[in-house]
Amino acid sequence: MQASKFVLWVSIGLAIAFATSSCEKTIVQDKVYDNVIYDLGNQVVYTSASQKAKQKTATQYLSILYADLKQTTIPNNELTNLSQVNLGFGDKGLVNEILVSHYMNNPGVVLPTAAYMRSNLDQFITDTYIRFYQRKPTSYELYGLRKLITDDPNMTPELVYSSFALSDEYWFY
Amino acid sequence: MKRRSFVKKAALATTGAILAPYILPSGRLFASTGSRVVNHVVFVLFAGGLRNQESIEQQFTATQTGFSIMGNIMNNMLSGNAPLSNPIFTPWSPILTSPLSTQGSLFQELRYAQGPTGHYNGHTVAMTGNYTNTGLNLNINPDMPTLFEYYRKHTNPNKSAVNAWWISEGLGPYPSLNFSRHPLYGPQYGANYINPSTIFEGYGQQYLSDAKTYQPDDVQRMKTVKDFLNKSFHRAANEMPGVHNDAADSVNIKQFMADTYAKLANNTLPLPTPGGSRASLTGDLTNIAYSWQVLETFKPELTVINTFNLDVCHSDFSSYLEYTHRADYGIGWLWNKIQSTPGLANDTVMICMPEHGRNLSPNAIIDPYGMRAFDHTSDANSRRLFALMVGPNGKIKSNQVFGSNTAPVGETIDIVPTIAHLLGFYNDIPSGMLPGRVLTEALV
Repeated sequence: MQASKFVLWVSIGLAIAFATSSCEKTIVQDKVYDNVIYDLGNQVVYTSASQKAKQKTATQYLSILYADLKQTTIPNNELTNLSQVNLGFGDKGLVNEILVSHYMNNPGVVLPTAAYMRSNLDQFITDTYIRFYQRKPTSYELYGLRKLITDDPNMTPELVYSSFALSDEYWFY
Repeated sequence: MKRRSFVKKAALATTGAILAPYILPSGRLFASTGSRVVNHVVFVLFAGGLRNQESIEQQFTATQTGFSIMGNIMNNMLSGNAPLSNPIFTPWSPILTSPLSTQGSLFQELRYAQGPTGHYNGHTVAMTGNYTNTGLNLNINPDMPTLFEYYRKHTNPNKSAVNAWWISEGLGPYPSLNFSRHPLYGPQYGANYINPSTIFEGYGQQYLSDAKTYQPDDVQRMKTVKDFLNKSFHRAANEMPGVHNDAADSVNIKQFMADTYAKLANNTLPLPTPGGSRASLTGDLTNIAYSWQVLETFKPELTVINTFNLDVCHSDFSSYLEYTHRADYGIGWLWNKIQSTPGLANDTVMICMPEHGRNLSPNAIIDPYGMRAFDHTSDANSRRLFALMVGPNGKIKSNQVFGSNTAPVGETIDIVPTIAHLLGFYNDIPSGMLPGRVLTEALV
């Protein structure tokens, strides 16, 4: 009797252990997408400007600006120095405006020529939107900017790039 | 008739309900430009922690064991004979023919009554008019409105940010003092902020001095494209925290920076040192030099600047004495400049005050001259300081001294109300915001 009771309890225990170990473990993984993005070449692209709700920090702005203008990563010491300059002036928009014009006045900015811009206008505009905004222009934006450039023979890639770098959307991601 | 009467009363009630929250404590609907004493105020925080022993009491080295030389090392700000001998530094001859204390009013025993005597606290209290227990919060704006915000919100007609400047000797938490986090005020009423040692002497020179100057046509082209781009975006960069200047002021500020870099390059920048020697510049004097550039260019109505080198006293008492002497020269130089510039002369009040004092007892650090250093850890002595107010004849009393160690007059929280009174907006500040008072003793 003693032995049969022992076997019974062992059997019940094993059955419970088997039952619990065989339960399917549910793992819940939340995937949060900041923005829906698609690959276009090697660039990530927003589907629209309205997906940008977060404001860049000063450091983000400075490093992204450098990368967008020079097509290379900003050196650490330069980012540190520029962050200090940014901290030392109250009107951040104004100091960044001066900084952009500093870059434009120095070698290193990767700029297409005016001739290229005019002979490949739609491509230039699309590339510029992707470069600075990480999205394609809407048809309205493509039309509008094409008209602004076409109507003004003195509009240059430098002025267009500066405008993008200092526009409202460029401050957000 | 009843219907007409009802409609009339309802309209009046609605109008009243809408306007009531905007009625000022003075009973007026809109802020009015009160009667101003002057049109310009320069507030110098003679900061870094200065003891009354070395300033007002003119004890020089006499508080140090084995040293007994007395004398005034602030001979541009205070009356009194210089030390008969000076083994520590070569004194500079005063730049003023008579010290500022004889030209104005000296509150020689003012109190920092509450809160820790830390640099950030001291600056915050002086610039908000409210005591605070908030310690060193890096890059966090104060809770209570700053002097700049009261000025810009309550001055009528409203003044742009180019009329208000905060110019600090160093960075650290100080860039955050140009506006507060107060929900009724904030960055839209803030001051322009600049740290000249970074912008003009440091990395700013490398990154900002060679900025391209675009022709007006090109500026307009960029504006056209930028406006077009901004139309397609739902948020404005103006929503970002910080002070924003309008287009016209931005142009002027950029021109100011270009001009200042040019003066620097051409070695034509006026310097607050004997003979304009660049080698004699300290951090404090550098800040005063560029502050003058701001004052001369914009003639702001409200300018706050600070000095800070005196904080070397934590480890080097002798250098503290020397920096005090040099900064005093800078204040005299600045006042001379103000008084010789049309638009500022005879229409400016300058107030100088340390942010707090330092301890009565020294710490254990001994400098190369064998003198003990002093910290500032909220003892009674570190709450003793002074304020010097100087201004036009007939506006600020001259050669007046107020307070004594046993009967102090004034607190650091009184400077904001006093400046608000001088610029004519004190009565428009909502009641309960400022616990201090106007230092009327100094006013004619």
